[in-house]
Amino acid sequence: MLYGNELLKEIQAEDFAVYEAALYLDAHPNCEKALAYYREHKCAVKKLKEKYEELYGPLTIYSSADCDSWQWVNGPWPWEKEAN
Amino acid sequence: MFLYEKKLQYPVKIKNPNAKFAKIIISQLGGPDGELAAAMRYLHQRYTVPYGQIVGILTDVAVEELAHLEMVAAILYQLTKGLSPEEIRAAGMDQYFVDHTAGLYPASAAGVPCDMKYIGVKGDLLADLNEDLAAEQKARVTYDNILRLVDDPDVQDPIRYLRARELVHYQRFGDALRIAQDKLDEKNFYAFNPSFDKICPNGGCNH
Repeated sequence: MLYGNELLKEIQAEDFAVYEAALYLDAHPNCEKALAYYREHKCAVKKLKEKYEELYGPLTIYSSADCDSWQWVNGPWPWEKEAN
Repeated sequence: MFLYEKKLQYPVKIKNPNAKFAKIIISQLGGPDGELAAAMRYLHQRYTVPYGQIVGILTDVAVEELAHLEMVAAILYQLTKGLSPEEIRAAGMDQYFVDHTAGLYPASAAGVPCDMKYIGVKGDLLADLNEDLAAEQKARVTYDNILRLVDDPDVQDPIRYLRARELVHYQRFGDALRIAQDKLDEKNFYAFNPSFDKICPNGGCNH
């Protein structure tokens, strides 16, 4: 199975930006700059994840039943070298 | 509830297995300042906190610690995959192997199983946040010590990432402490525990 390593790295980078902004916003909920940064990266990661799931399979159980079989159980799993 | 996302937070790709490194790094899985203890500490401290911003910080940091637990597990898994019994013996991993084979059991580098004695849930906002600040620094020191002992760039890279996250969490808990103190009686922060005492409508403390 071909795993989307490069696309996955892009998702990890964008997801990191979203999570980092969220942590910062917990402490600074009215920071307009952080809110704009959060929105920008949230939008980017959504598009990347849709593309990834279409090509390589589900990232969560909520996107696993689009095919004839249950793809969720297909490896490699995230801790395997081949998945990174 | 919690929703699993089938990806690591940051890539782990280790070319060369090395049981000696795994024997050290396992402390960040189940040691006193490891990721499992960190996640449990913040998840359980948050319930009685009356301020939404601090509940948010505790929740989001705790969830990130679970992602770090998985990254540490990925490092250990890749460092020990495919080793022969001879290689395990030569690395001194045989004492672990006899009980756990190549399974990932949360314990410290010295073999002590993970214990909830490592964490505090005092139910007092200032006490708990000060514990959290110390915990992040202790985890940072452990990663610094791992970097002193490990020379493989494939291992150093994700360890450096995890170390940097401890610094960011320390910053956020610093924000949380500031937010908590801003809401307390400035004359005596410690006369009032907002996680337990009833908030008096006129401000100040009720005992």
